[in-house]
Amino acid sequence: MENLQVSTVSGKRRLKNSIKAFFTEPANIILAISVVVLGFFTIYPMVLLISDTARVHIAEIMFKELRGLKVGQFTFFHWFRMLFSDMSGVYFWNPLKNAVLMSLLSSLIAIAYGGVVAFLITRTDMNCKKFISSVFIFPYIMPSWTLASFWKNFFQNPEIGSGTGGFLFNLFGWKVSEGFVYGLVPCAIVLGLHYAPFAYILIGGILRNMDANLEEAATVLKASRMKIIRRITLPIVLPALLSTFLLVFSSSMSAYAVPQFLGGSSGFTVLTTTMKQFINSGWYGQGYIMAIFMILFGLIILGLNQYATGKRKSFTTVTGKSGQISYIKMGVWKHIAAGIIIALCLFCSVLPLVTFALESLCVIPGDYSTLTLEFWISKTATSSGNGIRGLFYEPQVWTAFKNSLLLSATCAVTAGTMGILIGYSVAKKRGTFLAKAADNLAFLPYLMPSMAMGAAFLAIGGPLGLSKTFFLLALVGGIKYLPFASRSGINAMLQLSGEIEEAALIVNVPWWKRMVRVIFPIQRSTFISGYLLPFTSCMRELSLFTLLASGSTVLLTTLLEDWQAWWTQSANALNLLIIITVLAVNFLVNKLTGASIDKGVGG
Amino acid sequence: MKKLLCMLLVLSMALLAFTACGGDNGKDATIYEKAQEMTWDELFELAKAETGDFNAYGNTSRIKDAMTAFVAKYGAELGLSDSNAVGTKMSDSEIYTTIESEYQSAGNSKGASMVMIQDGATLLTYINGTEYFANYVPKAYADKLDKSAVTPLVQQYINKLIMWNNVGSDSAVITNVWQLTEASMKGKVYFKSPKNEQVNMNFLIMCTSKEWSDKLADAYKAYFGKNIELGTYKNAGYKWVAEFLNNANFSINSDTTIAGDLSKPENTGKAGLFVLSKLRDKSVVSDNLTVAAFADGVAPFSGFMYPMYCQIAQKGPRPYTAMLFIEYLMTEEGFQPWGKSIGAYSSNPALAALEGDQPLSFWMEKLVFEDPQYIMDNKAEITDFVNKIIG
Repeated sequence: MENLQVSTVSGKRRLKNSIKAFFTEPANIILAISVVVLGFFTIYPMVLLISDTARVHIAEIMFKELRGLKVGQFTFFHWFRMLFSDMSGVYFWNPLKNAVLMSLLSSLIAIAYGGVVAFLITRTDMNCKKFISSVFIFPYIMPSWTLASFWKNFFQNPEIGSGTGGFLFNLFGWKVSEGFVYGLVPCAIVLGLHYAPFAYILIGGILRNMDANLEEAATVLKASRMKIIRRITLPIVLPALLSTFLLVFSSSMSAYAVPQFLGGSSGFTVLTTTMKQFINSGWYGQGYIMAIFMILFGLIILGLNQYATGKRKSFTTVTGKSGQISYIKMGVWKHIAAGIIIALCLFCSVLPLVTFALESLCVIPGDYSTLTLEFWISKTATSSGNGIRGLFYEPQVWTAFKNSLLLSATCAVTAGTMGILIGYSVAKKRGTFLAKAADNLAFLPYLMPSMAMGAAFLAIGGPLGLSKTFFLLALVGGIKYLPFASRSGINAMLQLSGEIEEAALIVNVPWWKRMVRVIFPIQRSTFISGYLLPFTSCMRELSLFTLLASGSTVLLTTLLEDWQAWWTQSANALNLLIIITVLAVNFLVNKLTGASIDKGVGG
Repeated sequence: MKKLLCMLLVLSMALLAFTACGGDNGKDATIYEKAQEMTWDELFELAKAETGDFNAYGNTSRIKDAMTAFVAKYGAELGLSDSNAVGTKMSDSEIYTTIESEYQSAGNSKGASMVMIQDGATLLTYINGTEYFANYVPKAYADKLDKSAVTPLVQQYINKLIMWNNVGSDSAVITNVWQLTEASMKGKVYFKSPKNEQVNMNFLIMCTSKEWSDKLADAYKAYFGKNIELGTYKNAGYKWVAEFLNNANFSINSDTTIAGDLSKPENTGKAGLFVLSKLRDKSVVSDNLTVAAFADGVAPFSGFMYPMYCQIAQKGPRPYTAMLFIEYLMTEEGFQPWGKSIGAYSSNPALAALEGDQPLSFWMEKLVFEDPQYIMDNKAEITDFVNKIIG
């Protein structure tokens, strides 16, 4: 009896002690909180989404097969129609095939283009690094349809599409084939260019911090160039390559504006464009099946990523020891490479900006004899007859501007800080269940198509009393952009050798001070990019907020969506305002902190 | 670990059930019937007693201006200002999703009290299957409106017309819609893809109705001089839709850009089907465009007309203010935000057409009008038919 009591007490105490020990570690607390909070906000919308694919919605009663059923009733009709009916090819298999092909191609383009530029900037003595580094990220700052629209205006010729001449035709009389302007190829190229900065930031971040001693040691040991790349460089860059692939593939799978813009006349449809069509008709069941497949694809890649990163040993590249970078000498190629990259950057970064600026100055788009400043500075309604004043004097613009800035800043701070904390905890507790769960849950929002996520948050907003509030926008934005921050946080922390924090731990430095004084400063540039990416993405996000922002919470992009369909010039001016704002913030942050989106790479 | 996942799932399911239950139902339906018999002044007294915000969502950006004018005139007495009375542009599907969430939320002091909806067929399914909306016809207009404009209440109509580029030629590019299906017009007819524009889809659906397929069959005979051979098509409407879509050019996704591009001199001989109001846009060289209906017309139709419906949101905080606002929108002053440009026509027959435009009665003869009931019954089937053709 006595023995039993002793063992019970010690059992309880053991449990108490182990719980206490567990929670004395900040990393565990962070992980536990993250898993609960993120679990709720990511799994719950998914449950909603899945249950919606097997229920009858009001507008679906239009289908003869569903007539007589009640709203909310269980049905397999949507799944049958999408996967097995005679329309499944048109609505599902064909868009799925197109979406996968487009995403694969755009991932390859982004990795190849961004990766090469990152390598040239971090590892070689190429010219004009600073300029390239700052201009290269422009396409990511611009809403993706901007580049799509520019692509169309540039390559369009009278024999295809809208029947008008683009720049290339007007200047040189050159005609490209229709497949280069509309359909799979241009969609993949434009998305690849748009997301190349991802590859540049992620791959460049690793390359920059990589200690060249590793490669030099291999050279001393007479390893061949190929062997060095295969056994040293690639394994170190691999997590970043996989992360990039994961990010670009998932983004492209849920890209809507580009295929919508360039799919056009050729009937090129992808999952998102078809999904939007279903959602617009209120046929949610069928629309959400596509969303589920988009998520599934993301999960598969996430699994692959997990498998690959789980298998490898840890590579810490930032240690307490000295590190140095020796640049590869390119000789005459340093001018040629710089020239080619600058030309490409100008084409997809600067030229679109110039054309947008010019278009916002024309009464008749493309007719430069009708120049006017009214779309910018008119104090009364412009001559378009739409009641909108010049951009600077339009009250809607300023309300939206204030909201967008505030929202982007809030999302950036929330996502960025959570990202660092999760990155820290995941790296500390690598391999544990909680770390894996937090890592994956922090990434899940990325796989949720923005539009579906917006709808899910609208649905949970009602019961929580958050409908139409700024808080709901900030919540959905903070969670949606967490993956950027957590990825860069985890990448940065994995590089960091444990000995650095341990040194501070030995002299009893408290946790928060270790974070603020030791860890953050070392990986500052990567962490700050974890703040800037959400900010940038949020500034130009549309589909996520389109259902949630209205009236007093109108944003620049939702206003732009409204204007775009009808008032091209005012929309062009507004678009330019968005881009300039992001650039200005980027510049300010750069001046104040020395970091910027591209700074993760250096130059 | 499994427990944790299970707990999360249970939590999610519980919340799901919570949202599915929703709040209480809409208001007592009789208040709308009673209100139908009330005068403006009686409603005004009731509206004064209302509290909460007055929000209106509409699939038209000019709802903002209409609301601003309404607030400027009556705001002081009704306790409304620019901060608590807002008109917001939303697409139909955004309106439904938002109203659904507002309807289910317990307190709805910031929700919409009225909406303006474009797609009648979907609206009918909501009217039949939910209590989100209530129809209200102001007493002063009950006898004046056309029967087809009463349930659901049509506030205005907007037309999309066949137009062509007339540069270098005075003769009509087409006089019969079957010409749009000929090989010579391949890729030369601009039409915003029905995938992205529901009203365009509705027009195609209407073409398959008995009335319009008969007229299309007659027009076929008039143009080709022989009876139509249907082959596998159900009727002449299906055949025309299929052949029209094969020729249509969907590469432009905005009616403004369609109008602008079509009016460029190099596009002579090409045609388009888009909103008339674009002719007044400075970015369009309107002299280069001929409106078929204003020339000799096209057999059997010169374009189509779609309505904009007004409904009261049953769960909205200010139903009586919403009724006043709807009545205000039927007046000349309330219609001004739309009525100042061509191509929009109030359902109130007392309002005259703008100079250079024609009244509603003129268009009734020449255009395909929407029948929401027919569209609702056939939308699923014909949407499939259209998508099979355009991919």
